[in-house]
Amino acid sequence: MKTNMLGIYDDENVMLHAIDKLQDGGVAVADVYSPFPIHGIWSRLKQTTRLPYATFAYGAVGAVLVFSLLYWMSVVSYPLKFGGKPLNTLSFIIIMFVMTINIGTLFTFLTYLFREKMFPGKKVELPDPRSTEDKFVVVIADIGSLSEQETIRIKKLLQETGASEIKESTVTLHEH
Amino acid sequence: MYNTRVRGILIKGDKSYSDVSRDVLRPLDAKTPIWWWVTAGLAIIAMAWGSWGFYNTISTGIGTWGLNNNVAWGWAIINFVWWIGIGHAGTAFSIFLLILRQKWRTSINRAAEAMTIFAVMAAGLFPLLHMGRIWDGFFIFPYWNTRGPLWDNFNSPLFWDVVAISTYFMASALFWYVGMIPDFATIREKTASKIKRKIYGAMSFGWVGNAKSWLRFETAALLLGGMAAPLVVSVHSIVSMDFSVSVVPGWHTTIFPPYFVIGAIFSGFGMVLTLMIVLRKIYSFKDYVTDGHLDAITRILTFISLIMGTAYLTELFTAWYSGSEYELFTFLKNRVTGEYTFAYWTMIICNGMIPQLFWFKKIRKNITIVFIISIFINIGMWFERYVIVVTSLSKDFLPATWATYEPTITEVAAFVGTIGLFILGVLAFFRWIPTIAISEVKSVLKETTTLKSFTDEN
Repeated sequence: MKTNMLGIYDDENVMLHAIDKLQDGGVAVADVYSPFPIHGIWSRLKQTTRLPYATFAYGAVGAVLVFSLLYWMSVVSYPLKFGGKPLNTLSFIIIMFVMTINIGTLFTFLTYLFREKMFPGKKVELPDPRSTEDKFVVVIADIGSLSEQETIRIKKLLQETGASEIKESTVTLHEH
Repeated sequence: MYNTRVRGILIKGDKSYSDVSRDVLRPLDAKTPIWWWVTAGLAIIAMAWGSWGFYNTISTGIGTWGLNNNVAWGWAIINFVWWIGIGHAGTAFSIFLLILRQKWRTSINRAAEAMTIFAVMAAGLFPLLHMGRIWDGFFIFPYWNTRGPLWDNFNSPLFWDVVAISTYFMASALFWYVGMIPDFATIREKTASKIKRKIYGAMSFGWVGNAKSWLRFETAALLLGGMAAPLVVSVHSIVSMDFSVSVVPGWHTTIFPPYFVIGAIFSGFGMVLTLMIVLRKIYSFKDYVTDGHLDAITRILTFISLIMGTAYLTELFTAWYSGSEYELFTFLKNRVTGEYTFAYWTMIICNGMIPQLFWFKKIRKNITIVFIISIFINIGMWFERYVIVVTSLSKDFLPATWATYEPTITEVAAFVGTIGLFILGVLAFFRWIPTIAISEVKSVLKETTTLKSFTDEN
């Protein structure tokens, strides 16, 4: 079981400043738990997501698939004239438009859950449950592998940057 | 030089982050109040009566309604369009304001989305019921059958409607749920009750709230919202095409799609206003849903009301300018004057005139009057659909087939039943779900706004 160090902050701006200081001091910040999204974090932790590309792919495949189905049903399988309109009509666009959104939305949602490894009833343990309430928790991973001097230095850095509390936790970090 | 004038704060009362969770979650932990039971009881009585209406229609048939050969659409379609219109507010609110980065939406979007879900549920019941043989409802789907296989008519607006509304319902529900996941996690970690921890824990899907999960959360919310935004426009455009692709005078106009979309947003915002005034009153959320928030909604309504008024005038002008005597008859002899004068003028007064009172600051500041006006908007929008559906059908090209339409008790029961369903849904939402998006409010807690509504002198 790995031991992580938690620096707990009360204010998101203080915490963002602290991350900068820690990173300047050569300390790797493993993760940050917060009660709401903080926009400065992702660039600092160099995190990105490819979710929009997936959505685009679903939409594109969906549009093609829906058109193929409409074409096959109306033109190939059972060509039936309605009101003298052509079999392959421009008004397919309406169903294609809505179904592209339908497929894009549903699969984006499923991909989101899949990538987050989330499902109904999943049990999790947080390093500090107050991070869903009002605390901002900065995690320094696996301090057991660091020298004692280094651990003291990190602790001092956390203190200097305004952490209201510093503690150790053995809760496994949430990998994504 | 670009200078932004900072006007006021979004959330009043100098709240801390834990104050927000505490305030929003307080009603969830409190004992179920008396008003809740009384309202729920009334809603259940309404639903019971509605069930009778549904049973009567399904067991006997559409003959139990006041429809006839000419007026083949009555209350069912009116109520369907009315509910769908109300159901537009959630998406209009959260998604348009999300994309426009309007931060004041955060206190209201959760309730607006909840309203959407229940309104669309109520709306969806009417086309189902209108099928007559509800047990053959699956015919609407293009499935492999033994009749050819014979597929749907993909050029029919009625089929588009099915696709559009089910997609809208799914997209709104997913967007709503994704937004609630972090709040369920907050309840999971905060609650003292074991049962609550289990239930909300299961509903939180194992949310942890670290940097990467917030990144994906924000991205997913923006993607789902971005995709649902065109739906707001398309769903009601498609509903309007149910009418406008026909040749019936008064329906066969190109103004219908934008006219319906703006009408939907109007009625939706009206219902949001009604609901938010109730919510902030019963749960003392005045610091979150501030006077500034209500003021911002009334300003939007004033503007939309002007568009509605313009649309009504445009319809009249086009009827005259088209030179079609049938169009002119429908508008001048069967709406402005004639048998349906009351419905027409109720629509004009409630939608085009009364909301114009919001120009006066004194009226915008008086929450009781704002509440009453919001009810007038809901009524006005119902009459708009009544005018569109009934007047055009009752007297069309052949005077020999002219007929009048009166709803029967069965139709009224079905409508009252859906109101009961809507109210019961909203009550369940008030009782068991955080009515304000906790994590979103926390993220704007330190924000100020540039909106004029939020100035202190207001």
